[in-house]
Amino acid sequence: MTNASLVAKGLGRRFGTVIALNNFSIEVPKGELISLLGPSGCGKTTALRIIAGLERSDTGEVHLNDKNISNVSAHLRNMGMVFQAYSLFPHLNVAENVAFGLKMRKVSKSERTIRVNTILDLVGLGHHHKRFAHQLSGGQQQRVALARALVIEPEVLLLDEPLSALDAQVRTNLREEIRRLQIELGTTTLFVTHDQEEAMAISDRVGVMNQGGLEQIDTPDTLYNKPANDFVASFVGTMNHLPAQLEKGTIELFGKRFPTQKSGNESGKVNALIRPESIKVSIDETSTNAVVLTRSFLGAHSRIICRTNDGAIIHSLMSNEYSQELHPGNAVRLEILSKEIMVANA
Amino acid sequence: MYKVLSTVKNNFLTTGILLISALFLFLPLIGATEFSLRDGGPDKHSFHSYKWIFEQSGFKENLGITIQVTTLAVLLNLLIMVPTVTWLHISGQKYRRFVEVITILPLIIPVVALATGAQTALPSFLHNTVLELSFMYVVIAMPYSYRALDIGMSGKPLNTYVAAARNLGASWRKILLSVITPSIWPSVLAALFLTVALSLGEFTLAQLLHWNTFPTWVSNVSQENILGATALSVGSLFFAWLLLFTFTFFGSNKAESAKNEE
Repeated sequence: MTNASLVAKGLGRRFGTVIALNNFSIEVPKGELISLLGPSGCGKTTALRIIAGLERSDTGEVHLNDKNISNVSAHLRNMGMVFQAYSLFPHLNVAENVAFGLKMRKVSKSERTIRVNTILDLVGLGHHHKRFAHQLSGGQQQRVALARALVIEPEVLLLDEPLSALDAQVRTNLREEIRRLQIELGTTTLFVTHDQEEAMAISDRVGVMNQGGLEQIDTPDTLYNKPANDFVASFVGTMNHLPAQLEKGTIELFGKRFPTQKSGNESGKVNALIRPESIKVSIDETSTNAVVLTRSFLGAHSRIICRTNDGAIIHSLMSNEYSQELHPGNAVRLEILSKEIMVANA
Repeated sequence: MYKVLSTVKNNFLTTGILLISALFLFLPLIGATEFSLRDGGPDKHSFHSYKWIFEQSGFKENLGITIQVTTLAVLLNLLIMVPTVTWLHISGQKYRRFVEVITILPLIIPVVALATGAQTALPSFLHNTVLELSFMYVVIAMPYSYRALDIGMSGKPLNTYVAAARNLGASWRKILLSVITPSIWPSVLAALFLTVALSLGEFTLAQLLHWNTFPTWVSNVSQENILGATALSVGSLFFAWLLLFTFTFFGSNKAESAKNEE
């Protein structure tokens, strides 16, 4: 299977007065899976549709293997796409749906049969050739759609929230399967989703989008631990925002001084950004600084929501082992486990 | 559909109404058929009157013209309406109201005005060709065929089908032929039926535009022979049914799979 590198440069798109995409650029190297993550309306689907050629862009270019394909019609781009909405043609059965793209490419009947069989086995639907879309579950329909997109050996695979309509368990299984197939076939893939867990779980890199632009593109690890800005920090995972006073690049929280990413000569009002798992809640009657509001059991962990004596609401995520004695109304002591704290301008 | 019928079948009232409707529909038909088979009196029956039809001059020619006009009208209708309604559904939504109003116009404008309009508006090379009448039949069938196709496309994720098909390498022609049309096949058939039924029975426009079609011929010959006229009516009715059944038969396979999806 061919794998290609995809580059989008300065894409812009406006719908009336709404700016859907604003100078959006991305580079997807061969064989990589990159996710575009962002709240609804951030332009991620528009970007994907422009890359697929289904939407025109006002500005910018799309390059495939260093060739400008901005003016190439969608049906000649050789990209496979899976949509959020079920898109199987209702009048064709599974095998005919998968063969559709091959037929358009005038692939011989015998080769079509072989390739359809191979790909359907690969997505685990080897025994459903003769079924119609209405006889399949949502997950099966999306598998067929995936097979249909992959069988044409696309240069790039574009996934537009293909899992959004499925229930939780099917979604988890299918996303693992997408990743397995993607690695196996080495297909360069761009995956659009609003589900951060999904994006983090299967991507080589994740691009976080906001208001038509890319805020940060990095590995899931970096994105979570070293967010480039406040938006990324708050959008990816849960983040506590604690007002603090920056003095010479450091802040004081709960009686302890922490270094920040700011340089030594900066001062002023800031918000400290702290992950829930970096906050330890303990019963220590000698020096309390907060009150427990709720404790929700999440399986291996519990989420404890506290109010500090200054009135700030803090989320903490703790292993159940250490959070069992915590009950609403308890006076507690909050401690920050991080060595360095990220701050954002208040 | 079958499920609905079987659940109400037990309902006595419904059965009664169905029975009365059936009597209402079939009694006159049976009466007319019996009458058309009479040969010289109420006791003797034969196909005499039916034979008479074929002996009248102009039968073949006029029927031939009607079949030509009907075929062309159906083709033109689908050729114009399927892409138009598709476009209205996938990217021309804001024009839907406007087009809807336009499609009703043939029902409001008197046929005489349509005929006069046709003679002035149609390009002269179309005058006195079969296309002249076919185009007019496309116009008067438009209110029905537009609605049939519109209903078929509403509620279908056409945009997704189109995007998927384009992405898989289908040109617009291929998309219309091998994705849109088959996925709304029952509606295409309905549009086709309505156009056929209309073209087979249309009298006024043909008369006004001086065409000798089957309906105008029927009107002429039936003034001389009441038994023959009845035989003609019964005969054309069965002919129309036969046509519709044939269409249904050829269309049923595709219709089945498209309908199942609902």
